[in-house]
Amino acid sequence: MSGVGGELGTLVASLLEDESWVGSLSGIDADPPRRRLQRTAFHRIHPDDHDRIVETVTEFNPHVLVHVGVWEPNARAAPKVAAALTDQAATSVIGAAAECRALESVVVRSGIEIYGRGPGALTRPDEENQLRPTSDWGHTVYEIERTARRVGDRVGVTVGAVRLAPVVGPHVPSPLGRLLRLPAVPFDALTNPPFAVVEDRDAARAIVAAARVQLSQPVNVAASGAETVLHAARRGRRIPVPLVGPQWWFAKQVANLMGAPIPDHVAELLTRGRLADNGAMPELLGITAETTTSDVIDRLYHWPSVIRQPARVQVA
Amino acid sequence: MTSTLARVIQFPARNGGGFASGAVASTSAVIRRFTEDPRGHVDDWGRDAGMFRVWSALSELRWDVSTGGEHHLPRNKGALIVVNGNSFTPTRVFSAFAISRTIDRPVRFVGRPDGTALGAFAQSLGGLLDDPEEVAGALRAGELVVCSAKPTSRPRDVGVVDHSLVGVAITTKTPVLPAATTSSPFSRHARVEIGPPTKQRHRRRGPLAELELADDVRAEIHLLLDELGDIATGTPLDWFPLGGMGGA
Repeated sequence: MSGVGGELGTLVASLLEDESWVGSLSGIDADPPRRRLQRTAFHRIHPDDHDRIVETVTEFNPHVLVHVGVWEPNARAAPKVAAALTDQAATSVIGAAAECRALESVVVRSGIEIYGRGPGALTRPDEENQLRPTSDWGHTVYEIERTARRVGDRVGVTVGAVRLAPVVGPHVPSPLGRLLRLPAVPFDALTNPPFAVVEDRDAARAIVAAARVQLSQPVNVAASGAETVLHAARRGRRIPVPLVGPQWWFAKQVANLMGAPIPDHVAELLTRGRLADNGAMPELLGITAETTTSDVIDRLYHWPSVIRQPARVQVA
Repeated sequence: MTSTLARVIQFPARNGGGFASGAVASTSAVIRRFTEDPRGHVDDWGRDAGMFRVWSALSELRWDVSTGGEHHLPRNKGALIVVNGNSFTPTRVFSAFAISRTIDRPVRFVGRPDGTALGAFAQSLGGLLDDPEEVAGALRAGELVVCSAKPTSRPRDVGVVDHSLVGVAITTKTPVLPAATTSSPFSRHARVEIGPPTKQRHRRRGPLAELELADDVRAEIHLLLDELGDIATGTPLDWFPLGGMGGA
């Protein structure tokens, strides 16, 4: 499993450890896991260290590869760095897995940003609709899926893509989550479009289910229901700030200064909305999202902020 | 005997405030019906319950729509309802509103613009893009979808039914129901009459199925319109034959 050091990756690993069909589990990431894992052998390797990745993966010789090692822009890294890290990880991890004789299945984390929100984009695209990404993050996940599919075709293994709605959770670094928790939340005064999210636990359950059933096609994973930014701000008792056209540029600068940068896929969500048809989840994965979008947004506002406790004894 | 007749036969008392009081009564009825929707609830397709409640009530000020034939609609599954289009009246919108109020279930309408404030507004009221893939997604999700035939300027005419939309109903195995709508520019009264599902006459494997079904739906809407009777405007215009003078 790649990306085991991230919040979502650690959650997936901990769920995989509880699965009876998982014999042994090995994880790779540039950062250590966020919580204690019992059975997972962790390897701290930077995504650009191709040789070590190939050596580690081929030595382990997995049956199933779960690739969660993706960096959403402005989540943990700036957009350019995130794109570079994601590209390096996808190439080296999926490429290394292709060298393994035991490999049967590849599951990659993708996103519903892959459908794009250009003119005429469907309100609620399903897995069979055309892919026309219109944001950097959309292009990134499109490339991950394409790389995995090419490798799958070449070595004859199944490839499943779990297209996640924006993942929001108590500790998940999410640019959308950060923005919605600002004291004042900008929204598009003219459109105020709806969007869906998915809670980190539901996202992790979906990835584990995809690995269990050896998913061989893409699947949308989103919580049921939708929210608009205006409603979300009201639920969280934030000040909604209506914006039109060029005012967004100023809003982005202010949000950036306040520690909640708005990458282009989040800007697209704010102005064009983002929904996806999650109707195939029960059939393909055998699960449904347990938490609705409204509940995820409610919980987002109930999670405690960072509490800074000063040292009892000042030593320096 | 006389007293019994007096109880049975009630002549409507017309007065100056009849129009306003009727509108207020129907609006308050709508508000009562939809107050169960949670405030700020947005569904999977972006329909805002609160927004729908307000605009549905406002639409009742203009159209007092009576709905018939709602028992033909599936209870929990999806269906495509095709109504006749009118160049001067948004028939698919008021039909969707009226059916939604009658069966207390969200009903979508096809034909919202994309990428504009108007499109976003229509989406919050249950609008879908005029795209067969979008309609297919909604039907697969078990939604009731109202689309209209090509609008015409004559109230008794039925325009061409988009066979591509009927085609997605065939592929998603959802029933297609014809519905006739009548409305008048001079009064609030409007009617939506839903017919039974249109069956395919022949089993076809190719695209001929959707073309035939679209034609059949159009014919059945025409039949429903004929059954509804002539348009009544409540003005001397009703005295003149709208179909022209001098017979057929």
